[in-house]
Formats: sequence, structure tokens, C-alpha cells
Amino acid sequence: MKLDDLRKIRERVQDELRLRGGTARVRVVVGMGTSGIAAGARQVLRAILDEVSRRELGDVVVGQTGEKGLASHEPVVEVYEAEQVTVYGDVDPDVAQRIVSEHVVNGRPVQGHVLEVREVDG
Amino acid sequence: MIGDLCMHLADLLQNSLRAGARHIEVGIERRGDCLVLWVADDGSGFSEDGHQRACDPFYTSKPGRQVGLGLPLLCQTAEQAGGEFSLRSPEEGGTRVEARLPWDHPDRPPLGDPLGTVLPLIATSPGVEFVVRLRHDHAAWELDTREIRAALGDVPLTHGEVFTFLEEEFREGLKLTGFKEDE
Repeated sequence: MKLDDLRKIRERVQDELRLRGGTARVRVVVGMGTSGIAAGARQVLRAILDEVSRRELGDVVVGQTGEKGLASHEPVVEVYEAEQVTVYGDVDPDVAQRIVSEHVVNGRPVQGHVLEVREVDG
Repeated sequence: MIGDLCMHLADLLQNSLRAGARHIEVGIERRGDCLVLWVADDGSGFSEDGHQRACDPFYTSKPGRQVGLGLPLLCQTAEQAGGEFSLRSPEEGGTRVEARLPWDHPDRPPLGDPLGTVLPLIATSPGVEFVVRLRHDHAAWELDTREIRAALGDVPLTHGEVFTFLEEEFREGLKLTGFKEDE
């Protein structure tokens, strides 16, 4: 493992974060329980990480969680923003990529895959 | 429903995370004529009862759930391919699950995509340390997140540049140890 390369990335990234104030704007979470994995959640998580990486979205955090009780709509992806949480169902890598490029970047939810939108208190 | 061995691996890793593990080791190894997959963690472990019932599809430790299919499915896959499955919870805690499958058995599912399976789970589990060991007879490769996080400070593993770097390293590791996707 070329740890020196990682140290260089760290220096560069920390400078960027300082310029931006250091907080994450959006959190994207993929359901990675058994049914999610069987339905293709691995490829979905991969597609999201690739798109976030390709667009160099330093203010987006990607996470994963277990099952959500939405097995019939797996793979499930949740987008957490300051005011609301958008739950997407039946996501494939193509939809996942659009969730990043259209929703996370441009604020336009991807039509046809939204299961639920919840307001966030406070 | 579960098409390749890395899907089983992803399932085992989810079990470990759900059991509250803070340290998880994953192995993908070719030992002689066998493909060996194992996951060892320091999570809550199995009681003796859970241990006995790990291969029972109607048993689950998740509250409010009726069935947990992960371990029984792996158990079944290993047996169908003429291999072995073992689950141990040592007294000091944690769990070690191992599946050993004859490399050339016609019913052994393909390995699948280790990189696409393991790395996203590792990168999106802050606070959990992982060691990945690839071994192919004499060639060995290892990834240790403690080492990586020490070099990165507070930069997350999901950061684009970091994730791309880790993908490249993992790909090198697979090449070095001679594993191919869908082998």
C-alpha cells in the first residue's frame, strides 16, 4: 500500500475542506441488507461512489445501512438533505447515477423512483 | 437468489456489522484445491443455541424478523459444492465463519466481484476497522484500514480520490494474487 500517496491526498483534501467550511451538504445511504444485496445493492452503492468520485463532490457523504423493511422495492437509496429525506426504491446503477447527477447536484428528484419524501424537523 | 460467492461475503459482512463488530477480518484464499472464504469479527457472537441454529433458515437474531437466510444459504451453497462450512464463537467473543469449497467442483458458484463487494462496504462503515487478506497459494496481499485511516486523518474513505486510490490498490492486490473476477 502506497501510504505516502494517501498522505498527499489528505493534504490536498483538507485544504479544499477548509475553503468550504468543512460540512457535508448531502448524505446518501444505500440499504445493504440481504434482500438489498440480492437485488443489486452492491452495484448501486458502487455506481453512487463512482459518480461522487468522478464529479469530485467533496461535500457528499455516502453511507450504508441494513434492511429497511422495504424488501419489495430493493435496492433502496435514501438522500438526506437539511430539510428533507427522499427515499428511492427499485434503484439500479443507472438510476443511482442519476440520483447523484440530477438530485444531489441539481436538486431535481429522479421521477418514477421516489417512494417517500419526509420532512426533517428543525 | 444468491448468484456468486461475493454476495455471500457481503452478507457475512452485514451480519458482522449488525453484531456491533468494531474489527472485521475478511479472507479470500486459494489453498491447494480449495477456495476458502472467511470472515472473523469481534461482534456479539452467537450463543450456543444460535450456533446450532445458524444453518436453520427459520432462525434469526434480528428482533421483529421471522427469518435470516444469510448463513443457511452459505451453508447450503458449500454443501452442494461438496465443501464445508463452519461457524465458531470463541469464548473471548466474536464470530468466525468459514466456507471451504473445492475449486473445480461444477456446483461451486463463481467468486464474483471481490472489489465491488468488499470495498464499498468498508468505505461506508466509519468506526469499523477492516483487514482484507487475499492469498493464492504463495502470493499474499493485505489491506488494513487502521493503516489507511492513520495516513488519511479525518478525510473519509468515501472521498472520491481516496476511493479511486483504494480501488486501484485492491485491483493490484487481485492481480498480484492471481484472482480474476468471476473465477
